[in-house]
Amino acid sequence: MSQGPFKIIRPSDEPPAELRKEVMGSVKLMMLMMRFMQLFMADYAGTIFENFRIVGRRNERDGMKGQSSPEPPKT
Amino acid sequence: MSKKKSIQLKELDDEALVVELQRHMDPERFGVLYDRFVERVYHKCVSMAGDKEIAKDLVHDIFLKTFANLSKFDHRSKFGTWLYRITYNYCLDHLRKSQRQRTVDVDDDRLESMEDDTDRYEAELLSLRADKLSEVLAALDPADRGVLLMRYQDDLSVKEMMEVLGLGESAVKMRVMRARERALRIYEELIPEGS
Repeated sequence: MSQGPFKIIRPSDEPPAELRKEVMGSVKLMMLMMRFMQLFMADYAGTIFENFRIVGRRNERDGMKGQSSPEPPKT
Repeated sequence: MSKKKSIQLKELDDEALVVELQRHMDPERFGVLYDRFVERVYHKCVSMAGDKEIAKDLVHDIFLKTFANLSKFDHRSKFGTWLYRITYNYCLDHLRKSQRQRTVDVDDDRLESMEDDTDRYEAELLSLRADKLSEVLAALDPADRGVLLMRYQDDLSVKEMMEVLGLGESAVKMRVMRARERALRIYEELIPEGS
């Protein structure tokens, strides 16, 4: 069976060389995002508590400075 | 990645390489897969879109989509077939969005006479001049163009087309037949008889 015309119009040129760099750059970025999502979604509560500290307003923090932690009871 | 490991990866066949990637996703391994398939995907995109710049963008997006969905590949088909399906569907979606859908009415009660018509339409289609065929394909609906390219340019068997299109055998044959009919109709419109 002759399939001439379809074969004749088949594209034959090479894909542009810079395309590889673009694709791999995007893949690396996507991988970074996927890892971040994985880390965050796997244990989001842990991630929040380990990596974020909730601090009060400035005057509250200053007020806390004067208070010393209670001493352990003497035996 | 060491040079030795890179050579080892290059020696793996497609399926084994994909298993490696599923086990450990990393851009360097994906680069090996990219190098193996980029030409096929690029040519498919150029054929479907008819424009090299658009094809370049499509290839970029298709490989990103492949990377993101690689963990879902279940090895029930060959990796090449799976990638071909992604390529075809992505190109089709893109072309459908960018091009107004053409509607051509075709009778549905043609299935019985399908086999008889096949040889006639096929012979007629394959006797078209290459430059005219390019014009016909450009004017054809993207889905029809994709089906004809799959059958006559990429030499996919009916079984492979069933996997790519997710259709049954008779539905695939019907699609090819309708695409051939529409292509010939467009050809007759573009080049009136006797000219």
